[in-house]
Amino acid sequence: MDFRETVTGAAVTRRAFLKSTGAGVALTVIAAPLGLTGRAGRAEGAGLGAGSTAVPGVARQRIDGLAKVTGQKVYARDFSAADMAGWPDNQWHALYLRALTTDQAFEGVDLGNLPPQAQPVRVVLGNELSQAQRAPKVAFTRDLHMDERMAQEIAKAQRKSTVDADGRSFNLPPDVVFDLIVVPGNIPNFLGQAVALLLFDSVAAFRAAKAAIEFNDDAFQIYGSGLRDGPPLGDAFSPTTTYVKYGDEFSYATADPETYMDQVPGYQSKIQQVLDSDPGLIRQPFSTDMQAMDPMFMEPEAGLVWIDGPAGVINIVLGTQSPDGDISNILSMYDSDDAPFHLRAVNLTSCYPGGGFGGRDSSPFTLMLALAGAYSGGNPVRLAYDRFEQFRVGLKRHGAVLTGALAIDGNMSLQAIQMTLTFDGGGRRNLSPYVASLAALCAGGSYAVPMADIFAEATHTQNISGGSQRGFGGPQAFFAIETALDDIAAGQNWDPVELRRANIVAEGGATVVGGPVEQSLRLAEMLDLAENHPLWADRAALKRESTVEGQTCYGTGLAMSLQAYGTSGDGMVASVFLNRDGTITVQSDAVDMGNGSATTLGVTIGPILGSNAAQVDMGAYTLFGMTGLSTEDSTGQGWDNPHWTAKSVGSSSACLTALHQVHTVRQTAEALFQGSVLVAATRIWGLSGLTPDEVSWQDGLLVLNAGGVVPLKLSQLADEIYAAGLPCGALGHAYFQNTWAAAIYPTPAGLVPLQLDGVSFYLPDGSDPVFVERQATSGPDSTSTRYGRYVWAPCVNVVALSVDITTGAVQIENVLSVLNAGHIHVPQLVSGQSQGGVAMAISYTLFEDMPPGMAGPANGSWNLNQYHLARAGDVPLVDGYAPGQRGQQLITLAELPGSPPVGRGIAEAVMCSVPPAISNALRDATGMRFASLPITPEKILKGLGQ
Amino acid sequence: MTISLTVNGIAYQIDDSRADDKLIDFLHEELNLTGTKFCCGIGVCRACTVQVSKPPNPAPAPVVSCSTALGSLDGSAVSTIESVARGGVLDPVQQAFLENFSFQCGYCTPGFVMASRMFLEGLKAQPVPADQLEDAMMTAIGSHICRCTGYLRYFEALRPLAEAANAGQGGQQ
Repeated sequence: MDFRETVTGAAVTRRAFLKSTGAGVALTVIAAPLGLTGRAGRAEGAGLGAGSTAVPGVARQRIDGLAKVTGQKVYARDFSAADMAGWPDNQWHALYLRALTTDQAFEGVDLGNLPPQAQPVRVVLGNELSQAQRAPKVAFTRDLHMDERMAQEIAKAQRKSTVDADGRSFNLPPDVVFDLIVVPGNIPNFLGQAVALLLFDSVAAFRAAKAAIEFNDDAFQIYGSGLRDGPPLGDAFSPTTTYVKYGDEFSYATADPETYMDQVPGYQSKIQQVLDSDPGLIRQPFSTDMQAMDPMFMEPEAGLVWIDGPAGVINIVLGTQSPDGDISNILSMYDSDDAPFHLRAVNLTSCYPGGGFGGRDSSPFTLMLALAGAYSGGNPVRLAYDRFEQFRVGLKRHGAVLTGALAIDGNMSLQAIQMTLTFDGGGRRNLSPYVASLAALCAGGSYAVPMADIFAEATHTQNISGGSQRGFGGPQAFFAIETALDDIAAGQNWDPVELRRANIVAEGGATVVGGPVEQSLRLAEMLDLAENHPLWADRAALKRESTVEGQTCYGTGLAMSLQAYGTSGDGMVASVFLNRDGTITVQSDAVDMGNGSATTLGVTIGPILGSNAAQVDMGAYTLFGMTGLSTEDSTGQGWDNPHWTAKSVGSSSACLTALHQVHTVRQTAEALFQGSVLVAATRIWGLSGLTPDEVSWQDGLLVLNAGGVVPLKLSQLADEIYAAGLPCGALGHAYFQNTWAAAIYPTPAGLVPLQLDGVSFYLPDGSDPVFVERQATSGPDSTSTRYGRYVWAPCVNVVALSVDITTGAVQIENVLSVLNAGHIHVPQLVSGQSQGGVAMAISYTLFEDMPPGMAGPANGSWNLNQYHLARAGDVPLVDGYAPGQRGQQLITLAELPGSPPVGRGIAEAVMCSVPPAISNALRDATGMRFASLPITPEKILKGLGQ
Repeated sequence: MTISLTVNGIAYQIDDSRADDKLIDFLHEELNLTGTKFCCGIGVCRACTVQVSKPPNPAPAPVVSCSTALGSLDGSAVSTIESVARGGVLDPVQQAFLENFSFQCGYCTPGFVMASRMFLEGLKAQPVPADQLEDAMMTAIGSHICRCTGYLRYFEALRPLAEAANAGQGGQQ
């Protein structure tokens, strides 16, 4: 079986992924198949447990597990042009040369030093690119509210005529303004910016060139004096974020958006006056900083592109977290008047990423790959970074500096948070302003604070670009407030738990943005659990037992986080399809970066349809094109327009699975069950008017609760559905913005209420899905978008550690994580995410040391021999807590009685408060505050005065 | 002159002009065996671990294929992840990793599988005192990097297999 046969084998897959844009470009997203073993054929498919012995709703293993554990082709790096049916075999290889300075102008390349066997067949410089190729208008639709703010600021600036004719300017960029390849004569905008594209028609030449160039770049690049193409370094990327809150009187969420910023200075003064007028207030200044961090996902970015110019087709193979944005950006590069060919279609094969952590969200890699394809004379091109290149140009977690002060009264009541957060955005804007903005929200921690004055910005520097990385600003912000709180507690001799308990925000409270907290958080309960756990309760005794005078000190630290999940408005799409043989296929726009989304979505339908999915296709964002919905509302009716929705789909982040994506798939499954499966059962049983309450699934059979009829297999129901022409699949779109958009849908079973804003039905005749016009729609209005976030995954971490005071080495002894994960869909995935978060946080806090500028990875010589990650020996490996052993325990709150089975996005939740807990534990152990990450042995020794 | 080696039991003769080429590139580009994963390329992360037996040493050894030149493998028998499951039946190590949800993105998994299998074979041939088993596991897979799952689930999965192998139980390979 060849690749193409595999990917188009399921009719629903091929049909459902087609979409036409307004520009007439056909888009196809093909889910890379599991089970492909290259030319050796196809192995057995993955198994969630859809067979007769499986338990609906329960995952026996990851749905992608079998393919991964047997080494089958699932990652973009695994594929070559020869694997792709219909592609030419003569694959070329691309290599970009990278800018070495932001002080001098790039003048050109000198490849005379390359040996003959290493010469490229094509060299492309920046002046050869079309305008659209050189600086494509890249869209970042990461957050509805941020995008609205940006649009408002652009409009405001345009009124002042401060932008250029294209509507583009540095401080108000609707898109990337920096050239993908520096034009000779210009000064590079940042280190690592491409200065030339080298193309090779053989792997031998490519490899020879790489061996010659790597670590020796300057021998092949020419620099001189020239002009800077762009603004000076140090400016802030737009928009910046200002959250000023003054009691119930004024906040970002509640103020008039038109006048909010005009009122801010006045309220900042009021806050300062209040603080200055009360000499009894305790002021706790803080200053923290952290270096950038590489996501270090295991698979360096790689992909294939083949541009069939005469046919106008771009074929691309990628592992990306953001197929939506990537396709859009490719269109902006080639669907233009100055494009080298007339673009008619884009075919994206979406592979499982070998790790993501945000580093593959809106990554510039896609653009660089698509660009290379235009210069290969119609041959396929492979761009595959090695680890040195990945360190050099891959998106990073932002380095940051956070300064400010807390104000608290003598009764432990927090009065004010003042914080300035400066994120090193690096060269490209990417998602940096969005990250800084969420960090500003996280600056308030888990606490109810009457007054806040928070400013966050991401600045343009010469450094490697920052982007969306696990925590999205949370790790930096929680570190600042949680260490400052502990310093207050230490200074006042207050109990750190008591101090936190006195200030936690609860349902009915508000964030520093001013948005209401309407979700049950249960923070007090979590603090109780942590406080009573022996790791914390017995910490004094443990310290005495573990301290070795003159050699080892021991400490325990606690910190909490209130990480939001989702964005200010999220759209999701999914299809649930009952195949003729009674098996189920689920498709989702989500991408599984390893977090287990595919597995979760495959089992979450089990209780509704009596069986887990046999197949789950991820990255199917073009499903939206089949929904009949649009974000354009020409009628101005908003939710009353049955074809309108507030957002189509967005980038995929792990935290969107448990609530957002699960909800969408489950509601779509409900549409199929209530609108069709139940009708089929009614027909077979010769009954009428069955309601969902009258039936149940038992051992894979649909049973009439009242008895008297023969239970039905799903395959029997499928037979009836296909024979009667009932819907065999449902396509659903959901929108969440504090609440779900909901409507009533006419179905073969009558009117069915669903928390979806769009439903279409697939019919057995194989035609496109039929739009079902919604009725009585209710949806959130624009007001709540200014809340920023609505749902939260709180976590309390307790860390115990020992410090070798002779070497400064830290050993994490035990970690306790108390997590409110809501309903847990797949327990093993939740604990795995937690354990992975703990390891990554330990690594971030203690080991990952990446200086900026040419002293760091931007110089092209960095790899894992210099950049140290936590290994197994650095992490407690016993599952649970037992004194004397190095273990980690995860306690998840039991669901409250009567609560709906709704999960919380916890991908980042556990990780966020581990770094401050480590720093707090170090303070307990050493009496010193270490507030600069990473906390290396050198810093510890210096702090200890040794 | 040629370099003679076998990969998963199939014999290959390679011109020695390619002696400096890395094993992983040969596996990927010549044999389309991409189950062995490229990550750091300098032999640190061990994602690219394969099994190599080279006379006169009868015991297979873990080798980082990203940093091993073909020229050093003359006369060797190389086994990759593609050879581990036989006839659709998973190796016990693969089964344990799968059932324990030991991995997430899975990119490091082939390296963990290969190293773990050799470790278990070594234990069966030469058991260690029970109180040294944890250290032996750490020596075998402790330097492999996993970025997603935090290692714990790999060790949880391997521990019972290691205990059995150390007791002379468990059949594989």
